[in-house]
Amino acid sequence: MKIAGNDILIQSLINEGVEYIFGYPGGAALHIYDSIFNQKEMQHILVRHEQGATHAADGYARATGKPGVVLVTSGPGATNAITGIATAFMDSIPMVVISGQVQSHLIGTDAFQETDMIGVSRPIVKHSFTVDKQENIAQIVKEAFHIATSGRQGPVVIDVPKDLTNPDELFDFNYPDKVNIRSYNPPVKPENHQVSRAVDAILTAERPVIYAGGGTISSNASDELRELNELIDFPVTNTLMGLGVYPGTGKRFLGMLGMHGTYQANMAMHNADLIIAVGARFDDRITNTPEKFAPKAKVIHFDVDHSSVSKIIEADIAVFGQVKDSLKAINNYLRSRKDEINREKLSPWHQQIKEWKEKHGLNHELYKSDSDEHPILPQAAVQHIYQESEGKAFVTSDVGQHQMFAAQYYHFDEPRKWINSGGLGTMGFGLPSAMGVKLAYPEEEVICITGEGSIQMCIQELSTCSQYKLPIKIFNINNLALGMVKQWQDMNYDGRHSSISYEDSLPDFVGLAESYGHVGIKITKNSELKEGIAKALAIKDKLVFVDIYVDPNEHVYPMLVAPNGSLKDMWLGKGEKT
Amino acid sequence: MIQRKLTLVMENKPGALARVVGLFHQRGYNIDSLHVDPIEDFEPFRFIEDELGIKFQVGEVSRLTIRTTVGDKLMRQILRQINKLIEVIAVSDDESTYLKGVLRNENLL
Repeated sequence: MKIAGNDILIQSLINEGVEYIFGYPGGAALHIYDSIFNQKEMQHILVRHEQGATHAADGYARATGKPGVVLVTSGPGATNAITGIATAFMDSIPMVVISGQVQSHLIGTDAFQETDMIGVSRPIVKHSFTVDKQENIAQIVKEAFHIATSGRQGPVVIDVPKDLTNPDELFDFNYPDKVNIRSYNPPVKPENHQVSRAVDAILTAERPVIYAGGGTISSNASDELRELNELIDFPVTNTLMGLGVYPGTGKRFLGMLGMHGTYQANMAMHNADLIIAVGARFDDRITNTPEKFAPKAKVIHFDVDHSSVSKIIEADIAVFGQVKDSLKAINNYLRSRKDEINREKLSPWHQQIKEWKEKHGLNHELYKSDSDEHPILPQAAVQHIYQESEGKAFVTSDVGQHQMFAAQYYHFDEPRKWINSGGLGTMGFGLPSAMGVKLAYPEEEVICITGEGSIQMCIQELSTCSQYKLPIKIFNINNLALGMVKQWQDMNYDGRHSSISYEDSLPDFVGLAESYGHVGIKITKNSELKEGIAKALAIKDKLVFVDIYVDPNEHVYPMLVAPNGSLKDMWLGKGEKT
Repeated sequence: MIQRKLTLVMENKPGALARVVGLFHQRGYNIDSLHVDPIEDFEPFRFIEDELGIKFQVGEVSRLTIRTTVGDKLMRQILRQINKLIEVIAVSDDESTYLKGVLRNENLL
């Protein structure tokens, strides 16, 4: 059968099992949109801004593990997608972005809506393709999906000149069932000698910590990680990206580590004699000053990406391969040496951690006070959301104080439930990513915990939610200012609050939500909090925007002391340091 | 810090060179000199063909030589980052070679 380039492209996506494509039409993409109109297998979701399309596809990918797919036009369509591509790149999220391009003969002439998308996106993609002829479209799509979803995952851009999707030129279409890229061969299985060295170190450790990050989720290795923990009974901390990979309510869970990590997690890392890094990359929000990081620890690093290992912190033992395969190998080998596992040896360490937890642990019962004597604490708002949703919701967030409070006080027991922009820290991520999650799991509760700053960066997507009837629950932790910036200004700039308030220009969020056909709820008092949140969650068929006015002066603690601090140097409250 | 030579064998595709050059800037490394030409004499590279079970055709692959001044640790990081580029088949410095993902402790190029 002979079909045109536009149909080859769309049929290729259908062959890849794509169910949703998030996009926005425009001149250079019109042939492709015509092809979308003529099929039924795949649904196009029309967003209100291309950034929303990339975040929605990203949310879909994080929640399902399947690649998110985006279609934008050339020029501004392509450049608007950049923030979302960079977000996916920093967090290693599989995504395929198709950008229209001006006709081949116009490339390089500064034609209308021409941008060098390959050039603009180069530093923030795993790989990119320019379609050179129609006969290659199917192969390119196959390779793009393979690259996006294998090894260390990431976004791939396919730039398609308009003339190559011309409906009048027909070509043979055979979608390849296999792909072999001779210059691309990511490691899969670990080598035996690496595994046995890692197990030797595990068996002799007295103060060990498992430090698991987003790579453990990408690799779907949560079960293997939990199995490892059952075998050896080590304490576990998760990065912001790794939350849920080990149960947030689990017996050995230390909480999140790093910049706003728990006291016990940071202390355990600092004093450890063995750190087992699993799909984590020793980001600067984790290590604080690298030279002062965990001075007594030997480091085992599991990663699929050679370049992540010993980049910041030198690994003593490196285990390359998909984390899932590496953990399986470790678990199997450990079972064969079961007699050597000595849990007793760890009890002083567990005791020490318990003492740290008792000394400066987070107060997880703030929500129990409903007195109107004091303003609503943002932490208590998150705790109520956690209680009322029974800890089972998908939670997306934006970036700032509310994100850290959500990470600290919503305890995720399963992976892929916590959806946030960790690496790039993209404000505006929360609402569109929640759309992607809700489309993937229409029966599940999908909550967006946001702030009045972040939500306004992609608030236009309230319209998309209305069009596709996506009953997301948005909880706006409203402190009337850019809270995290304000906190830094309080702590480092003698309280000079430069450009962090909107004065009286905030919209009436309830009225705004209602204007899109949604439900709006405003909460200003503690005594209304529990009931208001429960009421929002009880509405199943509508998007509810809950505007919660919280204490504008609250800070996020603990907080690492920087610069020049180590992991044991933390602010525990206003003016209170370790 | 000393000047070192990196040798790459990579697919001769549009944009491939830009990825290598871009990587240096993006990661904060500096290029002292750069030389690139298509490989015509495949004899020194037969081991790559044997290893990967492929056959190079004329015009398909290029050799890049880059000189850069860095310390040991950064050199290793540069090698690993370059090795990650999809179109790079092999990369080596004086002491080691990445042959599509697999590290050898000698300069094979």
